[in-house]
Amino acid sequence: MISRRNFLTTVAVGTVSAAALAACGAPASQTGSAANPVTITYTWWGNDDRAERTRKAIAVFEQKNPDVKVNGNFTDFAGYWQKRATEAAGGGLPDVMQWDLSYLRDYAQRNQLLDLGTVKINTDAFDKTLLPSGQIRGKTYGIPTSTNAFAVYYDPAKLKEIGVAEPAGMWTYAEYKDWLTKIGQAGGGKYFGGSDFTGIWWQFNIWLRQKGIDAFTGDGKLGFSKDDLRTWLNLNSDLRGTNAVVPADRSAQVKPKSPFGSNLTVSENTWDNFMAGYLKDSGAKELKLVPVPSDDPDNLGLFLKPSMLMVASAKTKNKDAAARFIDFMVNDPEVGEIFKTSRGVPASKTQRDGTTFEGTDKAVVDYETSIGKYLKDAPEPPIVGFGTLEAAFLRFNEDLNYGKLTVDGAVDQWFKEAEDVIKQNA
Amino acid sequence: MTQTLTRRSGTAAAPPAHAPRRRSADARAGYTFLLPWLLGFILLTVGPMLSSLYLSFTNYNLFDAPKWIGLDNYTSLFQDERFLQSVGVTLGYVVFGTPLKLAAALAVALLLNNATRGQGFYRSAFYAPSLIGASVSIAIVWKAMFGDQGPVDQGLSFFGINLGGWVGNPSMTMPMMILLTVWQFGAPMVIFLAGLKQIPQELYEAASVDGAGRLRKFVNITFPMLSPVVFFNLLLETIHAFQIFASAYIISNGEGGPAGSTLFYTLYLYLRGFSDFRMGYASAMAWLLVIVVGIITLIFFRTSKSWVHYSGDSK
Repeated sequence: MISRRNFLTTVAVGTVSAAALAACGAPASQTGSAANPVTITYTWWGNDDRAERTRKAIAVFEQKNPDVKVNGNFTDFAGYWQKRATEAAGGGLPDVMQWDLSYLRDYAQRNQLLDLGTVKINTDAFDKTLLPSGQIRGKTYGIPTSTNAFAVYYDPAKLKEIGVAEPAGMWTYAEYKDWLTKIGQAGGGKYFGGSDFTGIWWQFNIWLRQKGIDAFTGDGKLGFSKDDLRTWLNLNSDLRGTNAVVPADRSAQVKPKSPFGSNLTVSENTWDNFMAGYLKDSGAKELKLVPVPSDDPDNLGLFLKPSMLMVASAKTKNKDAAARFIDFMVNDPEVGEIFKTSRGVPASKTQRDGTTFEGTDKAVVDYETSIGKYLKDAPEPPIVGFGTLEAAFLRFNEDLNYGKLTVDGAVDQWFKEAEDVIKQNA
Repeated sequence: MTQTLTRRSGTAAAPPAHAPRRRSADARAGYTFLLPWLLGFILLTVGPMLSSLYLSFTNYNLFDAPKWIGLDNYTSLFQDERFLQSVGVTLGYVVFGTPLKLAAALAVALLLNNATRGQGFYRSAFYAPSLIGASVSIAIVWKAMFGDQGPVDQGLSFFGINLGGWVGNPSMTMPMMILLTVWQFGAPMVIFLAGLKQIPQELYEAASVDGAGRLRKFVNITFPMLSPVVFFNLLLETIHAFQIFASAYIISNGEGGPAGSTLFYTLYLYLRGFSDFRMGYASAMAWLLVIVVGIITLIFFRTSKSWVHYSGDSK
């Protein structure tokens, strides 16, 4: 947190150094002053809710740092990456960006992101096991804003309506499937159990971890076999086509919303920071979280993942201002108060302790605390081209649910695509 | 309209090598006025096209320098099942959508041509969908109309036809996309209408005297006299149909789903380039499309001799 004295010092140093550099005639990095602030650009993905919160945070930052102006803009997640690709090709990435783990390698290995070890960002308040997820080959490219963990969401009100008991968690896949089947039967076509869980990449990844398999090897190859994927997809073969799984045509129509947010299903498996979004989409008063199923009660395969990272462009002309903005976004308690758990649970202890969590925000924090003893190290950042593979994973599962593909066909096609992507980026 | 299509021989030929001084000064002035457009054409169209031609022979991911791989992109296209699927989807759309759209346009133009009152109003009313049809908002409206419990689903259910939502049903998305394009028949209709106005009334009068009926008049007078306009519309709409993108992108949420049923050629090209970062591959797709559309246009021109009649032709 920046105190009044710090702030005055910064301004004074900034002004003096600006004058000094101007005297030299060749400034290495631009520095602003309150009278003549530098402008940095910041971009993020998200909905209106996040836009509103981000604008509030930017206003606080500008108030605390009068020598920096932040120009913000945002898009949805899919369009976000198409835009970044075009900007990177043209050499014009924004100074600071919200980032996703899936794309960290793509951009960091291609020298598009700033090595944050070269600037001043305070990471003392971070859990030491979390920081490596923003590092590639020992260099830090991203600072996690917050963490999220995988969970099974359910809507207690809908369960009560159809007379199915709430799950207690700590369940096996068989028990989990039984529960989905019961919802399907009691829901009578109005409510379905959930979406096909075998189509969710991270759920598969967690299942692999439960069996002690890493999804990707250190040298960027696949760590699992075709047989593993086949076993996984067959795990739900008996439920596809029943009311335990939402029909593909129903979920296709509500896109870009999820079937869970559209009140078609009673449960969904995903990251716990989706809470705010699901509440808003579905209009439900309360949603609850339990751990994912596992056949090994001691190994849930769970881990804390940075829900998003803050990165800077390698070509930014305002390294100092960019670093201060990142530091502010990840550490400042006021930012925590603004975002609550909508970005995930704040990763920095300073920010977490300075934020009051109530109601559903508290449910998310409590969930992450409750699974604390099961958490293992986060996997390394996914391989280059991971975004493509994750999309294909979902697409082949959709084809499977439409009956356009068999399990064997889906396995073969996904592996073909994966080998192609790995070869392309080797 | 017929004017522009009339084959002119000689009038557009280059001036002789030793043209009078005045003419070369005219040409200079002409090119000077043309310069802004010419510059734009060279810098913004020809330049990018040439660079995309180069990129189509490379492996280019937007970040690293392009790597020359020869014809690999082109050959791997034909082993790519998604590519073949996108070709199938697009051809289906062109083959069924274009004739239906033109038929609708011609039918409405014929009706309007006979209308004595309020022609201006109807013409504008039927043209309106073409103006707004390509917009993002219409694609969104379309998605809502054809969804579960949408107006179309409910309307059909009333007649006992229970198809459910079309948007989520892979075998119904194509009819839905075709309906969307047919509904935008306004532009070809206006052109048809202009063509119809140019057919001399004497021909119909003479035919009436000879006792020809309505159908006979259409087959023997209207269609032959209108054939240059039909040809023009067919060419334009076919090329246009190959390029469908925005509506498919919006209705399928940018994925080409459900089950790849709206994976149009240009949508797959876009996904390859901007989601998978395979610009070389996407460039190869773009050039293949240019070549195929070029060949189809050529075939149209070749076959047109047998069915398109220009006024003044001796046959």
